[in-house]
Amino acid sequence: MKSSEVPGFRPRLKVLNREQVLAIHSAALEILEKTGFKMEHPGALRMLLNAGCKVSGQDWVRLPVKLVEDALRSAPRQIDLYDQKGNKTMPLVNGNYFYGTGSDATFTVDIETGQRRRSTLKDAANFARLIDGLENMDFAMSMSNPVDAPIEDIYVYVFAEMIKNTNKPIVCIADSGRDIAKIYQIACQVVGSEEALQQKPFILNYSEAISPLRFPENVMERLIFCAEKKIPVCLPSGSNAGGGAPITLAGAMALGIAENLIGLVVHQLAGKGSPFLFGPNVSTLDMKSTIVSYGCPEWSLTQAALADMRDELYGLPIWAYAGATDAKLMDAQAGAEAMFSIVTAMLSRANLIHDVGFLEYGSTSSLEMVTMANELVAMSRFFTAGITVNEETMALEAIERVATGAPGSIFLMDDHTFEHFMQAQFLPKLLDRSRYDSWEQSGSFDLYKRCNIEAKRILSEQQVEPKSTEVLKGIEQILQMR
Amino acid sequence: MNDFKALSEAVNKGDNKTALVEVQKSLDAGSSAEEILNKGLITAMNEVGDKFSKGLIFVPQMLRSAKTMQECTNLLQPFFQEGDITSKGKVLIGTVKGDLHDIGKNLVSMMLEGAGFTITDLGVDIPPEKFVEKTKEVKPDIIGLSALLSTTMPAMAQTIEALQKAGLRDQVKIIIGGAPVTEKYAQQINADSYAPDAGSAVNKAKALLGIS
Ligand code: B12
Repeated sequence: MKSSEVPGFRPRLKVLNREQVLAIHSAALEILEKTGFKMEHPGALRMLLNAGCKVSGQDWVRLPVKLVEDALRSAPRQIDLYDQKGNKTMPLVNGNYFYGTGSDATFTVDIETGQRRRSTLKDAANFARLIDGLENMDFAMSMSNPVDAPIEDIYVYVFAEMIKNTNKPIVCIADSGRDIAKIYQIACQVVGSEEALQQKPFILNYSEAISPLRFPENVMERLIFCAEKKIPVCLPSGSNAGGGAPITLAGAMALGIAENLIGLVVHQLAGKGSPFLFGPNVSTLDMKSTIVSYGCPEWSLTQAALADMRDELYGLPIWAYAGATDAKLMDAQAGAEAMFSIVTAMLSRANLIHDVGFLEYGSTSSLEMVTMANELVAMSRFFTAGITVNEETMALEAIERVATGAPGSIFLMDDHTFEHFMQAQFLPKLLDRSRYDSWEQSGSFDLYKRCNIEAKRILSEQQVEPKSTEVLKGIEQILQMR
Repeated sequence: MNDFKALSEAVNKGDNKTALVEVQKSLDAGSSAEEILNKGLITAMNEVGDKFSKGLIFVPQMLRSAKTMQECTNLLQPFFQEGDITSKGKVLIGTVKGDLHDIGKNLVSMMLEGAGFTITDLGVDIPPEKFVEKTKEVKPDIIGLSALLSTTMPAMAQTIEALQKAGLRDQVKIIIGGAPVTEKYAQQINADSYAPDAGSAVNKAKALLGIS
């Protein structure tokens, strides 16, 4: 039997119309042309001047629209991230979405004791290993700002731990031109050479400008380094509504986008055609606690809006967040907030989605939370795939068979069910659907406990293909360099 | 003679126009500037702080009240007499070397100012030497250090050491804060106090100077 496919629709979230997109974009341009910004990197300042920017005072720059247009034209519309074995696992383009963890948690919930304690290098290793074993997690970040690494080289040390514990792509942080250079060296060793890394990059640098409109020297140093070496990079500023940016989301977005466009212009001037992942972080400053929220609907809404702006205007792949919470424990709030951001990020097709597994507004990381999020991504993926409509799925023959079959015929016994159930249903692994008695018999565990068990299982069983002794030696040498 | 009820209400609401009118009225009616400040403005601000800690109002409302109080204090400035106590104390504050986060520190500054302290804010990425230099110049009662990165927390310790070396440590109280900072860390590096947020920073600062 030949099945005829009905053209399918895949669920998709839209939150802005074209007029809104254009209005926010022109507001961003107006910020660049009229308000201007503070560029503290002399080299970047010179580049901007030469390109036609106006500078007043020492370092206050105003940027003409034309430069933005040029940069948007020269930046690649697709960024391919590879795993460490050279497979293209993350083509950041169109409707593709990829999830992964976040960076510098100060604390980690200890998987053995359940206690919140300072993060360590071992935690960075554990999170990377867990990511390696979770099918819906696509890239690793450190999840740890370790207390037991030499302070001036924290980011190099966590990078080395990640390299040893996963072969997936890595999104890395650096503090200055110095540590990014070391991280770069390690990355080159892993794939064999600078050229190999350029051809098949497996790292992306996450750097941040400062809202409002300030571009510190060390931040620009890293950005320029990455542009020159063609290492993919993103530069979201902290344009959080009510803190670094206006309380109203349209203004916060306009500011965040303006800041990103400045980053993009400098980046393209330093390395025309180098890959730049677009997008600010527009969360909110909570008006009671004054924390920057990692579980609020505003952040999800602004990144959905950014996805619309990408589709209407920018065409560059975008940076986003999901799967995090402000809750202190992996409780019901954590589940609700994680799911909200995971499913909306996917429905709006954000491309690279980080911060999965953060508790306590990004201060604490949890292996259990990442493990839960892995399942929530699976659930969202199922929803986002939509409904396949064709002869086979309409199942008219099965309906006829069962309806006219022997008394007691049910679909469960029909071949059509056997043939399709794996794809037709979402089959949860950790979300519990067992009958009461069997749930009780297996220990009456809640989701947190089940995730704890699963995370421990993965950590003990996951076979991460090890790096060669040569690479490991090279890493040690780089770590010993002072 | 004057219960400052209308003034207090205006400060509570953050209604600066009415507050300024009320301050002027009280002056005209013969109240002293010091009395208006202490019995009117600061008492009202204490109420605001109290409501905030109980979760009854939001930060922007509290900041608006603080701003209102500030404007009223400015109006009072020329009327203070020699010997009037017009400031709860001087605070020198900054984000330590290597750290560029400043939203939390700015909030702490504003709250302290609202509570009647005089603030000198040095900004971000401030090296120990600068704290030392400014301490000599400003002669603060309290120094506030902010750090949001675990990597810059040691700069707090270095700043305190530098003050020690310069022989200034005993002349000031030191309070520290920022997301990764803890009470324990404060003790460890020989700071006098720690506060987890802007609201408690005010209480801690007052406690350090033995005022209420
Ligand atoms: C906004 C933000 C930024 C902005 C800062 C903008 C600005 N103008 O400040 C930008 C984008 C620039 C930024 C940059 C970076 N950031 Co940042 N940032 C944040 C974020 C999201 C919120 C911080 C904030 O403003 N909170 C709101 C304010 C009101 O709260 P607060 O700062 O905690 O302050 C309160 C209290 O701590 C206390 N307090 C603060 N100071 C003081 C001082 C005294 C004396 C007292 C008594 C009390 C006190 O009272 C305040 C008011 O209630 C946090 C995550 C989070 N949710 O907290 C990460 C975070 C702090 N950043 C982090 C990191 C790693 C970075 C970068 C290294 C990232 C990068 N890729 O480059 C850079 C470092 C730049 C540098 N050298 O400083 C990490 C730090 C991890 C760690 N343990 O070290 C965090 C925790 C995020 C994370 N989980 O990865 N960041």
